Amino acid sequence: MLDALAAAGFEIGPPRALRRTVVDTFDGRLHRAGLRLEVRGAGNGAEVVLDDGRSSPARAPAATAPRRAADLPAGPLRSRLGPVLDVRALVPLATVTATVRPAVRRDAEGTARVTVDVHDDLAVDGAPVGPPWAAELRAGAGYAKDAASARALLRSLGLKAGAGDVLDQALAAAGVARRGFTGSPTIALAADEPALPAFRRVLANLMLAVDANWQGTVDDVDPEFLHDLRVAVRRTRSVLAQGRRVLPADVRATYREAFGWLGGVTGPSRDLDVYGIEWDRYVGPLGPDVAADLEPVRRHIESLRSSAHAELSDVLRSERYREVTDGWRAWLAGAGPVAGAGRDAGRAIGKVAAGRIRDAQAQVLERGRGISAATPAEELHQLRKDAKKLRYLLECFGGLYAPAPRKAFVQRLKALQDNLGQHQDAEVHVAQLEEIAAGLPEGSRGPATLVALGRLSESIDRARRSARQEFAGRFRSYDTRATARSLDALLDSSP
Amino acid sequence: MTAVLATYSIKGGVGKTTSAVNLAYEAARAGARVLVWDLDPQGAASFYLRVRPRVKGGSERLVTRGGLDRHVRGTDVPAVDLVPADFSLRHLDLHLDGTRRPTERLAALLAPLAPAYDVVLLDCPPSISLASEAVFGAAGGLVVPVVPTTLSSRTLAQLAGFLEGQPGAPQLLPHFAMVDRRKKLHRDQLEALAAAWPAFLTTVIPNASTVERMGVERAPVGAFAPASAAARAFRQLWAEMAARLWP
Repeated sequence: MLDALAAAGFEIGPPRALRRTVVDTFDGRLHRAGLRLEVRGAGNGAEVVLDDGRSSPARAPAATAPRRAADLPAGPLRSRLGPVLDVRALVPLATVTATVRPAVRRDAEGTARVTVDVHDDLAVDGAPVGPPWAAELRAGAGYAKDAASARALLRSLGLKAGAGDVLDQALAAAGVARRGFTGSPTIALAADEPALPAFRRVLANLMLAVDANWQGTVDDVDPEFLHDLRVAVRRTRSVLAQGRRVLPADVRATYREAFGWLGGVTGPSRDLDVYGIEWDRYVGPLGPDVAADLEPVRRHIESLRSSAHAELSDVLRSERYREVTDGWRAWLAGAGPVAGAGRDAGRAIGKVAAGRIRDAQAQVLERGRGISAATPAEELHQLRKDAKKLRYLLECFGGLYAPAPRKAFVQRLKALQDNLGQHQDAEVHVAQLEEIAAGLPEGSRGPATLVALGRLSESIDRARRSARQEFAGRFRSYDTRATARSLDALLDSSP
Repeated sequence: MTAVLATYSIKGGVGKTTSAVNLAYEAARAGARVLVWDLDPQGAASFYLRVRPRVKGGSERLVTRGGLDRHVRGTDVPAVDLVPADFSLRHLDLHLDGTRRPTERLAALLAPLAPAYDVVLLDCPPSISLASEAVFGAAGGLVVPVVPTTLSSRTLAQLAGFLEGQPGAPQLLPHFAMVDRRKKLHRDQLEALAAAWPAFLTTVIPNASTVERMGVERAPVGAFAPASAAARAFRQLWAEMAARLWP
């Protein structure tokens, strides 16, 4: 092929080893945003290349593979990646290697109009992928005619028209998916299937999310692994709680206790993660001087967070964790009749789920209506838990309902949950800040830091009061005929 | 967000095109998708980037009919594209004057291309004219190379005076260029101007023979002499600008 390209006026360059590692977040955020990020090369000459498939790929030097947008220098590449990645870290998906010979056609000015990169020895993570060679055609803007003529030449040489992007082709040939793991709690369910196997399938799907996020949590890759693991645990607890009269009482009791334990041991790390995530939002409005005075506090929180994560990693690698999860997976994998199943085990899941959802909504309304300005904060916390139970039911059994009415109802509930979440987070953080201040190392308790801590506490408390003031209006908007109609529409959408 | 910047000075021979081409290179090297629009009929930026300085139909057709995307050409610098110059750009003032909103025309021509680029660099000829006002209407920042001499600083003051009080006027991004620290005048002017103009970028571009070689190599300094003092200075200058534009 190189001879044919040379005969057609292409200048053949020397062969070079190519190494392209595709990176994305664990949940494939870049892929969903229509972006592909790769680390090209290794060591000092390495660069990151961001391709949106529509404009020129953007590239920047990266002697070490960036894990977060903040690892890149200030500029547009960082600005484009930052909002997409948010708190998630980049992880490698696969490395494509090859030997590449570039064939370049230049114009009278000496500018490359078209380049055909001929790849030999194409491999993904060291495993060869066919065909034995592939060609990738690149043409600069404004050189469509040159590209078309090169494409025709490649076609005459028996290559697929356009040749496309070798990286995507190699990943597809090796079965590497870029979509990532999102761990949706919603699975397809038939309204008339018996409740017990439906509960089992829902719980098995949640266990997949626990397992998928285990390694990233143990390795402390980014805070979303622990968050997603905890959400899967909470959903599991919630579905177990809703499984009364469906699941065997002993299984339900054993694993409610076990997942309660897991929820408890993962809590402290998550609380400290949230501090890290929310730090800029809390501290930013106080100005750079206060932020500088609070730096010892931030460092102390990071140190607490790191220790908490180390302890959590030990728990997740412990014998108890292994026994609990092995036992749970074994029960979930079981088939056929189940000893001690509840009396609703054979009822249609559509009816069981609808009853649970209506009960959960009634509980939210009852508690919410009892809350006034004088009600203790604990009651709002309970309401938050009630709302979460309802949300988890809608998510885990959402496969029974049409997406549009489900989305419409969840939007209403989410508006209420957002307010309750802001209130509870601020409530917890104000209390936690006192503990953190008490535990500050002696050398970090300068007067400026203590004054700044006071200002931070006031600022968080203001956010708490503001959320509390907003609650009544939010709840009024939720407790309406429209919400009731929305719930009816949701439940009626089940066949 | 696309940052539209113009390398601009009322005075000629201060290194506008040198700044445009080298900043384009360094911006692209640091992760930006860059479009350079060579608005100078001399076509020096087009020459440096190895693209024939010709726009089909000339400046008048481009300005009146639009379709700037049809004139974009790829260059050998990865992630840098160019709209080449055309000798008819010497009549750009006249062509703009024939449109309904001449000072908004360049911005309107650029708007459809914005999603594909992070940085647009307009390389402008030295003047203050209707075309300059159209550049001010399109650019968010004016990169003004200033040779530390009395005349250069005087033209910077003229420009600042012209823009003062104009709503939506671009931000001034002056930087020192062609600096020879062996000259006492340069050293004195550096100090005096930096004190008088807090907006000055702190990076200083030295007067270097490497920069002159751009005409021989037909490439940005960073492409053929990446370790040279000039290349390092342009890299630093871009980093400083990027930190201001994308804090």
